Order: sequence, then structure tokens, then C-alpha cells
Amino acid sequence: MTDKVSVALMQGSSCWGCFQSLIDIHLRLAEVLPMLDIKFWAAVADFKHEHLEGYPDKSIDVGLYEGAARTEEDIHHLKLMREKCKTLISFGSCSCFGGIPGLANFSDIEECYDVKFRSNKTVKDGKVPTENVPPIAPVIKPNNQYVDFDVYLPGCPPTSDLIFKALTTLIKGDELVLDPHTVCHYCNRDKQETPIPEILRPFDGNADPDRCLLEQGYICMGSATWGLCEGQCVNKGATCRGCFGPPPPIMQDQGANGIGMLGSYAPLEPEVIQDAVRDPLGLFWRFSYATSHLGSMRIRREEAKNQ
Amino acid sequence: MTMAKTQTDSEHEWTPRIVAYCCNWCSYAGADLAGTSRIQYPPNARIVRVNCTGRISPEFILAALDMGADGVLVSGCHPGDCHYTSGNLKLRARWAIMEKAIEQAGIDTRRIRLQWASASEGQVFADGVAKLVEQVKELGPIQEEWK
Repeated sequence: MTDKVSVALMQGSSCWGCFQSLIDIHLRLAEVLPMLDIKFWAAVADFKHEHLEGYPDKSIDVGLYEGAARTEEDIHHLKLMREKCKTLISFGSCSCFGGIPGLANFSDIEECYDVKFRSNKTVKDGKVPTENVPPIAPVIKPNNQYVDFDVYLPGCPPTSDLIFKALTTLIKGDELVLDPHTVCHYCNRDKQETPIPEILRPFDGNADPDRCLLEQGYICMGSATWGLCEGQCVNKGATCRGCFGPPPPIMQDQGANGIGMLGSYAPLEPEVIQDAVRDPLGLFWRFSYATSHLGSMRIRREEAKNQ
Repeated sequence: MTMAKTQTDSEHEWTPRIVAYCCNWCSYAGADLAGTSRIQYPPNARIVRVNCTGRISPEFILAALDMGADGVLVSGCHPGDCHYTSGNLKLRARWAIMEKAIEQAGIDTRRIRLQWASASEGQVFADGVAKLVEQVKELGPIQEEWK
């Protein structure tokens, strides 16, 4: 065994699902773990933040940052990771594109406080906590506006196979090459390029298991989504929700591309299509709102409001 | 993302900057006709020619707004008259969804305008530009939305 590779794993605002997916590589952990020298991983090793802060700059080979930067503490940790790590991986869609936490930008911070703290149905006379918790950033900015990443590894969560491939490649010091195909590339369904007569909700009717879901009228984001998942959902019969974000070049506007594709397939009357697509912002930009054009305009507006 | 410089400094009076996507077969010819017919209309529109409005992804419109355009006009053939049969219908469907998303994101939908103008309708094209410029003037610079 050659020298161990030092790694640090940091979590921002997220659900821990990406690290769970990392654990889900199961027996292959036996292959990966002996190669790792864990320098920081709050959930697994007993290192404190002071330890991470005490390491020399660029002393850690590979860093993974999971989650969005919602609190001031997250932002501090993100910048700290960039200082300490040679290769910093943006791990998961929240870290790459804002993901689900990024949807908080649909509302301004006061509206978020109202729902979460002040008028929370399970709390009486709720107040926004100020003691013993880090302050909350007024708006969620995508992580790549704070630091530069070397690798984007999106997914909600990234699949275990993808994580295994990425980790073993990076640990060996090789360049990580990811196929740029969209989900459609991996989808086994038959596509006939027919216009669709009406848009269906996921619960309408029974989908033909052999034909393209979008052609049948179910809104599928596959064509606008990076296929690192290898088409798991679409091949099992569920439409793609777009959780792997846009394909390379990485910061394309995924939602706009999804709408473009849907429009090509469903040249319907505007009223009909507006009625069928109830929440376009939440549907097409579910995982990439913070890095999209609409999202960046919203961020600028909220920032200006708070100045 | 490169931001267009704002023209709101005190020396110059602000005028809206409009990006206008015109299809090659109808509206671009219509805009040409408006010019050769000496029809007066505001000079704020910067015309980008595309082969068909069906070529326009919502990203074109959103990126223009994000980069500092005060308004976006899309002008194509009348439904049924598309040179490529159905390109404008595809754009119309995209537009309907995108318009809703723009509204949800808190941007005034009066900043965008979709119109149909054939090659012989120079006046319709000019009126469309004038109408959008008027709407955007009421709203002010897009940067004001985040000031």
C-alpha cells in the first residue's frame, strides 16, 4: 500500500443523504477505507473544527463539501475547506446547484422566518433563535459564488457507483472523466418524435413501459439532466425530476432547457399548457434554482434589499 | 456572467435596452419593411435574427434579462404561417410556461413580450417595439429591481 490519501468531509445545510450514499458503497468500503487518512469528518471521526482550522493550507488532498451554504457557519466552513484542500469536490446537487435548500430563495428571509420560527404551527409565540446558533445568511448563494471547485459531483444523492468511481480515481491521483450524456442516453424507452396531445400529471393513467415518458405526456426532465445516474428512475418507470442538474458545460440553465424540450413536444395552446403545468419554477428548477438565471436575479434582488 | 453596464449614470438619461429576437422569415423581414417604409419607432431594440422562433430556448430570454437587458421581445410568424410548419407553436408553448416561471420568480412579466408580425406587417412590428418600450419605461431599469 502506498501513502494514504488525506481526506476531509464537510457538511453544510443538507440532509446527509450524499454521505449516506457514500456509506452505501458497502463492501467496497473495505477497498477504499484503507487508502484514506480521514482528517475531518464530523459524523465519523472525532475531530473538532479547531483541528481542521489548525491544519496547514493545502495540506489535505481531497475534500468533499456536501450541502448548501445557508448559515454563516456553513460559509465559513466552505471557505475553510477551500483553504485546506488541494482538490475540493462539490458533493451532491445542493453543493453544486443549490439543490433543495436553494428553493428557500422562492421566499425572502422574513417569510422563511415566519414559516419556520414565528408562526410555526407546533410552537407558541415562536421567536427567531439568536443564541448558540450561527446566524442565517439572508439569501442562499450557490457555493461556487464563494469558492472555486475542482470537481462537480452532482446528484441527489450521487449514486454509490459514481462515488466509488470518483473516489478511487481521485485517490489514485488520476483525472476524473465523467461522460457528458443526458439521462435520455441511458433510457431504454422507445422514442418516436410525436407531438403530445395533452400533458399528464404523474398520477394520470398508466404509462406505457416501452415508450418515452415525455412523448406520453408525462413531464420528464431527462433530456435536460446529466445522466450520471445512468437512467435509474426512467428505466424503472418514474419520470426524471432532474436531480443530477444540467449536463456539462455544468452551469447551463437546466430548467430553461427542460421547458424548451417540453415545448418542442407539446405545441399546445398557452392556456392549456399553463393550466397543466401548475408550478413551473418548482418543477423545472427544483435542483438548480440557485445557479439559474432566474435564481441569480432573485439573489441579487434579495442582497440589494439587505444592504 | 458578464453584466451589461448600467446606463443610469447622471450624465445620460436612462433609456430601456431591449433585446429583440426576430425570426428570419417573417418578423426580421417585417422589421426591414418598417425601416424601408420609414415607420418611426423607438430605437431601443437590438435585433437578433434567428432562423425560426422555434430555435429560441427560454434560456435566451432569461439570460438576456440576467445579463441586464431591460426587456425582451420575441417576434415571429403568425401561428399557422411558420416557415418550418410549427416552430412558432413550440415557442408559444415554451413561452407560456416560462412566463409563469418568471412571474413566480418575482420579475415583472411586462418586461417580456411575444408578438406575431408577418413580413408585410412593418407597422405591427414597430407598434410592438413601441408598446414594449413604453411598458419597460414605466418599470424602470431592470437593475432597479434589485436596488
